[in-house]
Amino acid sequence: MTCNDCLEHVAGLAYGKLDERTAADVRVHLAACAACSRQFETLGLTLEALERLPSAPPSHRMRARLMGDIEAEKLDLQGRAGWAASIRSSAERRPASWLAPLLQAIAACALLAVGFLAGERTAGERAATERRLADLGAKVDTMGMLVEQSVLQKRDTVDRLQAVLTVGSSKRPDERVINGLINSLAFDSSVNVRLNALNALYGHAGQEVVRAGVLACLPREPNPLVQVSMIDFLVAAKAHDAAPELRKLAEDAKADTDVRESARRAMDLL
Amino acid sequence: MPLPDHDLMLAVRDGDLDCMGELFERHHGPLYGYLSKLTGNRAAAQDLCQTVFQRMLKYRHTYRDEGNFAAWMYHLARRCASDHFRRASSAPAPMDPTDLEAHADDAVGADEAAASKDDHALLHRALGRLDRADREVLLLSRLQELSFAEVAGILECSVGAARVRAHRALHSLRDHYFKLQKDPLT
Repeated sequence: MTCNDCLEHVAGLAYGKLDERTAADVRVHLAACAACSRQFETLGLTLEALERLPSAPPSHRMRARLMGDIEAEKLDLQGRAGWAASIRSSAERRPASWLAPLLQAIAACALLAVGFLAGERTAGERAATERRLADLGAKVDTMGMLVEQSVLQKRDTVDRLQAVLTVGSSKRPDERVINGLINSLAFDSSVNVRLNALNALYGHAGQEVVRAGVLACLPREPNPLVQVSMIDFLVAAKAHDAAPELRKLAEDAKADTDVRESARRAMDLL
Repeated sequence: MPLPDHDLMLAVRDGDLDCMGELFERHHGPLYGYLSKLTGNRAAAQDLCQTVFQRMLKYRHTYRDEGNFAAWMYHLARRCASDHFRRASSAPAPMDPTDLEAHADDAVGADEAAASKDDHALLHRALGRLDRADREVLLLSRLQELSFAEVAGILECSVGAARVRAHRALHSLRDHYFKLQKDPLT
């Protein structure tokens, strides 16, 4: 091997990327040639220095964010609709203590509508009223769709946060709004959005579907801050059926210390 | 015995997303180190590293049976870094104060103040003096899990071209580094 041949391969040897035969040939030449040996030595020193070059450790938030992304992707796989349906059906399987007031409310609305329509004096007025009611219904549907789209589909965190805050300030949210908030709590990759969705649900903690939704989200939640907030929510909502899940968390050695402590305290309070 | 990266990634592709957590634990440190040295910017490296893992998750179905995980990961990293450099060239990026040392020679008149005999700072400066393509091929070639053929695949060039570029980049870094060691004010 000539010096030119050797210099062609010397960087490859320093990188550790030569095949064994070529590497052996280069080494034989290096042992006999001081000039080429010096080239190899300085290249090796440079690569060693590069290996030693420290880079600050990446932040722990990166791990938390990725775990959030993985969870969101898993939930996507399972299917949002199927998951939402399972929450609803689990809520419906419970003793229907809420059913009577709901039926009463529906009956009251029906009576109101019948009275309203009966009060109209002419066919023309009735038609106009029906049109107004239909318009109103369409607006409510559109609002619901907008809420769903803004909460679930916006990719930008600020937009999703804004949507959750707007939805949360609604004094009389419908079923779709509540579902949107529960979905955000379950699926959103941003801790801020999830916390604000939970805050928005506080006003509706009396609803069985809300309590069931938060309880279903608790074991999926990766962030200790949100976990503790969920536990506080379940205590505030007097969710006595949360006890088994709280016990699991309290006894989970891998769970965050604050989370375990909150779960124990919540069990005592409930 | 732990599963090889390739098997873990196949499992992710087939729906076992928890395996991505293990791949993250194994590779986020070296990947972050690569991106950090390539960009010279800690915050950007952090964002890019995060994006690479997000893309792995998103494009998991494109991972092939005969694939090499490390080569695939660095291929995605290269794409993310290219996007970053394209954005950075069209808008001035805020400077991370902790990275000033790495960019000391970018600032006119700041050479003297930033000149240091500290070896790491010198090497940072030497790296900063390579053009991006040279820095990229050098940082990829030093990774033991990648062959020149795989580096060539990532850089989308021939194996011969990758080898020549890697040789040239290492010689160039060595020259800058030794020159700075002799005279840090150059």
